Amino acid sequence: MRPANPAWRLLTVALVLLIGAGLYWATIKVNYQWRWDRVPEYLLITGGEDVLSPVDGTVAVQGKQITLTPLLGGEPQTFPEIDVVQVSDGEIVFANNTLGKKSGVTPGPLLVGLWVTLQISAWSLVFALILGLIAGLGRVSANPAARDMAAIYVELIRGTPLLVQMFIVYFFLGTVLNLSGFVAGVAALSVFTGAYVAEIIRSGIEGVAKGQMEAARSLGMSHWQAMRHIVLPQAFRRSLPPLAGQSINLIKDSSLVSIMALTDLTKAGREIVASTFSPFEVWFTVALMYLLLTGLLSIYVRKLEKKMAHD
Amino acid sequence: MTKTIAPDAEVLIDAREVSKRYPNGTQALTKVSLQVRRGEVVCIVGPSGSGKSTLLRTINAMESISSGEVTMDGISVHHPKTNLNEVRTHAGMVFQQFNLFPHKTALENVMLAPMQVLKMPVEEARERAGKLLEKVGLAEKAQSRPSQLSGGQQQRVAIARALAMQPRVMLFDEPTSALDPEKVGEVLEVMKQLALEGMTMVVVTHEMGFARAVANRVVFMDGGELVYQDAPEAFFSNAQHERLRSFLGQVLPH
Repeated sequence: MRPANPAWRLLTVALVLLIGAGLYWATIKVNYQWRWDRVPEYLLITGGEDVLSPVDGTVAVQGKQITLTPLLGGEPQTFPEIDVVQVSDGEIVFANNTLGKKSGVTPGPLLVGLWVTLQISAWSLVFALILGLIAGLGRVSANPAARDMAAIYVELIRGTPLLVQMFIVYFFLGTVLNLSGFVAGVAALSVFTGAYVAEIIRSGIEGVAKGQMEAARSLGMSHWQAMRHIVLPQAFRRSLPPLAGQSINLIKDSSLVSIMALTDLTKAGREIVASTFSPFEVWFTVALMYLLLTGLLSIYVRKLEKKMAHD
Repeated sequence: MTKTIAPDAEVLIDAREVSKRYPNGTQALTKVSLQVRRGEVVCIVGPSGSGKSTLLRTINAMESISSGEVTMDGISVHHPKTNLNEVRTHAGMVFQQFNLFPHKTALENVMLAPMQVLKMPVEEARERAGKLLEKVGLAEKAQSRPSQLSGGQQQRVAIARALAMQPRVMLFDEPTSALDPEKVGEVLEVMKQLALEGMTMVVVTHEMGFARAVANRVVFMDGGELVYQDAPEAFFSNAQHERLRSFLGQVLPH
């Protein structure tokens, strides 16, 4: 390729600046108060964290440790390492009273949300890969029932919106089976992503030369042995780049679990916006945090692709 | 050159009136009967599309048949109750496109089936694989991946891989057709060595020189039928049959 004229790069920069300036101008028009200075505390809390009493009870103080005996009976709870104790020994406290403060840096709501998002994505990815492998093998199976079941699964899931599936899992299955928001979220995301993984695996298997299966079978290996030792390892290598792309989608799709009683990164953002009325700063920050996750993943994927091209 | 086999050697492979018709109506084989005795080397020649590869592949049931029967050591290969995986361990197959496993080294390619199918311990499988690679002249390539080997080397590894199961018969499906001309000799040399050691071989080939020098019997197929078979001298010098004569006229140097 001929090296492009650097003037085009300048045009790109100019256009981006222009769009940014336009946005800024628009916020001035609506008298928006930018308060970027408040964003760091959504990420990290440095002022110390209040420790609240979960129930009504009597407290016993031993140095930095507080023991709470519930008034209505039950196991006493201990709260170790309270740096600033704000109750005295023998005092009766009510639920949500402050027991004391922990000093030091604690993660703010956005970082906590990011951690929840990461956990949901990771668990969903594991189950999506398992589901997708089973369904993908079903798609190429010689058994018509397995083939049909896999096809129905893939078509049903790919033909309906994820949000609707979430509503079904959370409000219907979640109520019937009494699932927590986390379990329901992981279930919905795994089932959804699994359908796409199944198609990736199917095309990976179909991309392995027919002669590979033939050679393995001619040596006396069973269909399953040939799949496991010969076809699947090669199919996985071909499937890695699209699978990585699908994991990036999974991270983004996980923002929909915020409809469940589950404080992921998006829900955390919504809660902060509701109490602070600074939507632009918060949503830009949230978007950047997602971008960081997906960006890191795609850099890793690009490295992986390069490495596989060499092998 | 050609080894002699006892005329009373037992029949190892017996194909009787084998026919194969594809669902689209194409008739690939029509009532083909072929017997191969233990220790015999049979070359199958014929124009492309004559059904010679299909016939070879019915012997280890890589290809199903519509009617007739194929037995190997008295076991009916295509009978529904036959354990195909077991039958196939007794018939080593070598393919035109080599079909080595690209994600494994040459040594691992040879070791895999004995370990997986025969449940052989790793050490024993490695030792056997090493000896076989030595036999095909590739001991120093044991740790190479197929992509690092030439076509001729890949095909020799493929032969070693098939031999690792200690088969009773070796089936070669145009083993040199995908090779550069200068690589054909090294593969044929390995095959000739095998033949001299007494291996039973069925070889689909276009290499008339090999057929003439090594085979005990040459079989001519055309249009899904077995047209003519004879010992090589008679086959190549005394072509009474018209279709055979015209085929030989095309493939033999004038």
